[in-house]
Amino acid sequence: MSAAAASPPTAHGWGDLADDPHATRLMEEALAATEVAGLTFADVRLVEAEELRLYTARSGELDERSEHNAGIGVRVLVDGAWGFAAVPLTGPGSPGARAPRLAAEQAVRSARAGSGLARTELPPRAPSSGRWEVPVGLDPFAVRDEERHQLLQEAVHAASAPRAVRSVTAGLNAKRQHKHYADSEGSRQHQHLVESGAVLQATAADASGVQRRSYPNSFHGNTAAGGWEYVTGLSLPSEAARVGEEAAQLLTAPHAPAGTASVVIGPAQMALQIHESVGHAIELDRILGDETNFAGTSWVQPADIGSLRYGSPAVTIVADPTLPGTRGTFAWDDEGTPAVRRTLVDEGVLREVLSSRESAARHGRQTSGAARSDGWAYLPVPFATNVYLEPGTGSLPELLDRMGDGYYVDDNRSWSIDDRRLAFQFGTEVAWEVRRGRRGRLLRGFSYGGLTPQFWGSVEAVAGPEEFRSFGMPCGKGEPKQWGFLGHGAAPTLVRSVRIGVMG
Amino acid sequence: MSALDRSTDAGPLRAAVGRDRALSACHAAVASALAAGADQASAFLAARNAGYTRFAQDRVHQPQDICEWTLMVRAEVDGRASRVATTDLEAASTIGERATERARALAVAYGHLPALRVAATTAEADDQDASLWLEDTAAWDTGARTAAARATMAEAARAGGAAYGMYGHAATELATVTAQGVSRYARATEAVGGLTVRIGDGTSHWTDVDRSLGVLDLEAAAVRTVREAHAGQHRVDLPDGTYDVVLGPLATGALLERISAFGFTGEAVADGVGAVARRPGELVAAAAVDVADDPRARRGLPFPFDLEGTTSVRVPLLERGRVAQAVTDLASAARSGLPPTGHAHIAREETPHAVPASITMAGGATEDLLAGVERGLYVQRLWYLNVIDPETTTLTGGSRDACFLVEDGRLARPVAPARFSESVFGALHRVDAIGSEILAQPLMNVWNGCVSAPAVRVRGFRFGGAT
Repeated sequence: MSAAAASPPTAHGWGDLADDPHATRLMEEALAATEVAGLTFADVRLVEAEELRLYTARSGELDERSEHNAGIGVRVLVDGAWGFAAVPLTGPGSPGARAPRLAAEQAVRSARAGSGLARTELPPRAPSSGRWEVPVGLDPFAVRDEERHQLLQEAVHAASAPRAVRSVTAGLNAKRQHKHYADSEGSRQHQHLVESGAVLQATAADASGVQRRSYPNSFHGNTAAGGWEYVTGLSLPSEAARVGEEAAQLLTAPHAPAGTASVVIGPAQMALQIHESVGHAIELDRILGDETNFAGTSWVQPADIGSLRYGSPAVTIVADPTLPGTRGTFAWDDEGTPAVRRTLVDEGVLREVLSSRESAARHGRQTSGAARSDGWAYLPVPFATNVYLEPGTGSLPELLDRMGDGYYVDDNRSWSIDDRRLAFQFGTEVAWEVRRGRRGRLLRGFSYGGLTPQFWGSVEAVAGPEEFRSFGMPCGKGEPKQWGFLGHGAAPTLVRSVRIGVMG
Repeated sequence: MSALDRSTDAGPLRAAVGRDRALSACHAAVASALAAGADQASAFLAARNAGYTRFAQDRVHQPQDICEWTLMVRAEVDGRASRVATTDLEAASTIGERATERARALAVAYGHLPALRVAATTAEADDQDASLWLEDTAAWDTGARTAAARATMAEAARAGGAAYGMYGHAATELATVTAQGVSRYARATEAVGGLTVRIGDGTSHWTDVDRSLGVLDLEAAAVRTVREAHAGQHRVDLPDGTYDVVLGPLATGALLERISAFGFTGEAVADGVGAVARRPGELVAAAAVDVADDPRARRGLPFPFDLEGTTSVRVPLLERGRVAQAVTDLASAARSGLPPTGHAHIAREETPHAVPASITMAGGATEDLLAGVERGLYVQRLWYLNVIDPETTTLTGGSRDACFLVEDGRLARPVAPARFSESVFGALHRVDAIGSEILAQPLMNVWNGCVSAPAVRVRGFRFGGAT
């Protein structure tokens, strides 16, 4: 069965803001309205997004929803004070549309109200302009209903096979966006994004309790930059059968023990480990205190950047939004900084952080291009981009063999970390006992905890590129809270002396 | 196209869309869906016009004026339904037709599904209750909020520290129209304050949210937070162990945030999992503990109806310590056999489901909870709580900000944050006193979501874990 004929540029040709020159005209209008006395910088983001989500369950009920939004966000720096305003577009392109001007005027008013406090200065930046789009094989919005239906039904049916499975949810999602950017320094940027994803969760229950298994990731499934070809590559039905079986098996599996052990952590759990204990911890706005009231601060201090021993020599962590196919892939961040690969942690030493222009300027450094925002309605703030642990060498069996005795764990079940991103606790959906390098019994209720530098300092080895997996995930910070959409990846990772069974 | 209906003059907060325009868009969406052949159709418009002043140390670093809305229509054909949403209010008719087309396509591709027998909903005439829209909140404009932020930062600086926080106000609107004749609209103001003061290694936090700015008592909150941060300096590590703990109102609220995960929803009842399905009437908390979802609560963010147009009713979750009832939306009510309670919820990257959106724990009469603690702990705030085991209601998380040892009924040395894993029911079962002061805090990722709670005294709360 094949998807409906769809080839580029079909996936990028939808919507009112598909046309770059038209978007530029709207942004110019907004920029013109920001030209007031005291203005030192202004930027405009014009975003149109459409998201399709389809879920089904064993009952056969469906939830399909398609959500479209378009709006404009204008940010200004007037007399050293920021202002920002965002409004939806109601029929962008209509003659006489006032949204760009209204947003600009409101942003200026807001900035003037905040003047007289500590000034913000942005170092000038050379303009960067162009167009970029996510390569798409098969337009996920053009897939026939019957094809979606068959895939979901097969997945649900396969996952439901064990009697103990009480509920199954399978879902597909696709999103397309036109993101346009212009600033007072001359940058004019146009990005046309498409992403596709899927999720499957099977819940088994009996008198002993409830167990859940997920695929391809427990945290919102997985979403990648690309088309329907990503979804078909997930082998959803066959993986669903495994997931259902494992959910049922977990009900009678022995409880995971407590103590100290060697652990090989699988890619999905490592992605969240990276996100929580590295990604957030090295957001420069957190390090400088901007998130003190909500998301928190960091155990990393401003003076640590460049020299802090973050982990063992086996740990190299990179931010690379230029790598294709992730939720953290882009050509420019949301304040117009061109995407560049940056090594954050180099053989265990913290060399770079995730920053925006403002936070970088306050620290006397160049931005690393990690300013992201939740669409048109929110200010860009430092978020992870596509942050991953560089693979080492060897296969998973070889890594287990190297470990000897211990546990192989994956797929997050619960997570928590303190506001400095230092003390954490994670639970995983699955764990297998490993004896002499061989996987043995399935265990339930596995958890582990530790302190960020000790954990990363105890990383002994990372499996090779053939074992690497990448995951897209949402994340929240800011007031009002906004979502960032990120990519994280890893290969299975061997960590020694991990404290396990940390149920307090 | 009509331009954004927002004055270019600085002035009091206004609703972004307004009653007539909101209802008109919903009616147009429903009418076009029915005209296109939908068996059933409904639409809602949710809007928010908000101003936020976020400050840190010596500057307003994130001022944001955000106007957002979405119009969503649901059309049903042969038992198959599709929802289509847009921010383009001029496209109301278009999305009604499109939702019907999609529902029809789903019916063809997936087959007929017997329609759920959902209870009819009725509109009330008093949706625009006077307590929802408060002029003091509407008048709290950018200039006033910035002035308040300046004063707070100055207060903290005088004490040798720094203030970080956010002061904001918003106008929330919801309009709902259904083919069965429901046509409802309400608007509400929202005042929100959040503040963390840091002096040396001492920190203290305050959050509150209400329809009325006056309820927040911003100046007093700032003074108190600075004082607590000053007292919180020179922390010592908290030894692992089990303590008699006084949880401040924000900590209690955080403990209740995840209560829906423990089976207090129609979905859980229909699936036969969780507390209401498996432990109805069981005494799981102290008899003094009353927790409800109360959409008419006087504190927090009351709202009279939900996205489906159903009147939101008070649902006792824990009544005198016993497992009581579950909240529902129309679909989960039909599946579980429970009555519709008006708790429909549609969130990003989630399937629609019912949630408690106005969680309230009743206050008590104990003025000094510390007085009953010989040796224990005061915890102001809990942070990053996540469910480990929904069946045992076990959460993991950590303490945050102003935490103190308690000795002979008085605050003693400040202690650093610590991790814990505890059963919520277990902790509530060991509550032996409840305070009178209530604080409300936003419920993350829930539209108009809020949890309000008092301080409680818990006998035996274990701290210690991964550290």
